[in-house]
Amino acid sequence: MRLAFIGKGGSGKSTVAGTVARMLARQHGPVLALDVDPLPGLAFSLGLGHIPEGGLPEELAERREGKGWVLKEEVSAESLVDRYAVQGPDGVWFLQLGKMPGHVRPGSSTAFRHVVESFHRPGWSVVGDLSAGTRQAFAGWASFATRLVIVSELSSSGLLTARRLRRLAETFPEAAVGLVINKANGDGLAAAKAAELGMPLWAVLPYDGEMAAAEQTGQAPIDVAPNSPVVKAIERFLQRITEDPK
Amino acid sequence: MKIGIVGKGGAGKTTTAGIVARTLGRKGYSVLALDCDTNPNLGIALGLGLQETERLAAIRQSLDEEAAEHAPSVSEMLQRFGAQAPDAVRLAVVTKIDTPNPG
Repeated sequence: MRLAFIGKGGSGKSTVAGTVARMLARQHGPVLALDVDPLPGLAFSLGLGHIPEGGLPEELAERREGKGWVLKEEVSAESLVDRYAVQGPDGVWFLQLGKMPGHVRPGSSTAFRHVVESFHRPGWSVVGDLSAGTRQAFAGWASFATRLVIVSELSSSGLLTARRLRRLAETFPEAAVGLVINKANGDGLAAAKAAELGMPLWAVLPYDGEMAAAEQTGQAPIDVAPNSPVVKAIERFLQRITEDPK
Repeated sequence: MKIGIVGKGGAGKTTTAGIVARTLGRKGYSVLALDCDTNPNLGIALGLGLQETERLAAIRQSLDEEAAEHAPSVSEMLQRFGAQAPDAVRLAVVTKIDTPNPG
């Protein structure tokens, strides 16, 4: 399973992605969890408790005439993951790609898109938490995914972002695209909005005070609120998409 | 007075910016509101509605696609590419918007 989570800032991408990664790891084997957001948050929802040092060092990248940013040495994505990913709970391996420690050369992180794209290891899943908004997701970072999960609240700006993302997703015809409505107040409006957007509604996650509390303390929802309505709804979401062979 | 509003996604930047702009306008200032987000939604917060917000984004994008010509001056730019919001606020979308560019 190769999932990319996209959506407006604050929609809950990291919360959902982290919880999905943990569940996938428990149920289906190892997971590579990628945080591609320059304002990282996935480490918390995965249950690492802090944002670990690490990720792929910028020195691995160099700029080549006519090729743009590439890896200096031809190293396989798998060996880079072995070397630099941080082990989290349940068999999740975490790699921070969006963080910009100190001065990095602008654009250099694009060298790592190929790592994300080419990582394939039998039995492993990949879960990517992409940067907020619409731009970065489609600058090549989403192309690893076979499913694009658009996370949105029911706000006008969230849904407008979802509509822009759906349009951009048409440039990835091979990926399935669906909507997860977060912080919903009942299912009816979510279904109507998904129909308006012309997208399958993969999940409706209710507003849930326990999630807000987990976000405040930086803990993983699956650890501190395993029976909360949101974690249960994410469980059903995962079951739904794993049963559908696409 | 020039105010920049920054913060993490979902923090409420756009909502705050919209209210600050409208409030200043009501106090009698002429206000220029600049949407510098690659996913521009400030029009919604200012009360322009979905359609107008999308129209402004499309105008900005047409510049990148070279379907429209750049304005020769700032005031002409605001005239041609901006929109009038309530309370004497003029809105323009500044930042280059996402272009589907896989690979």
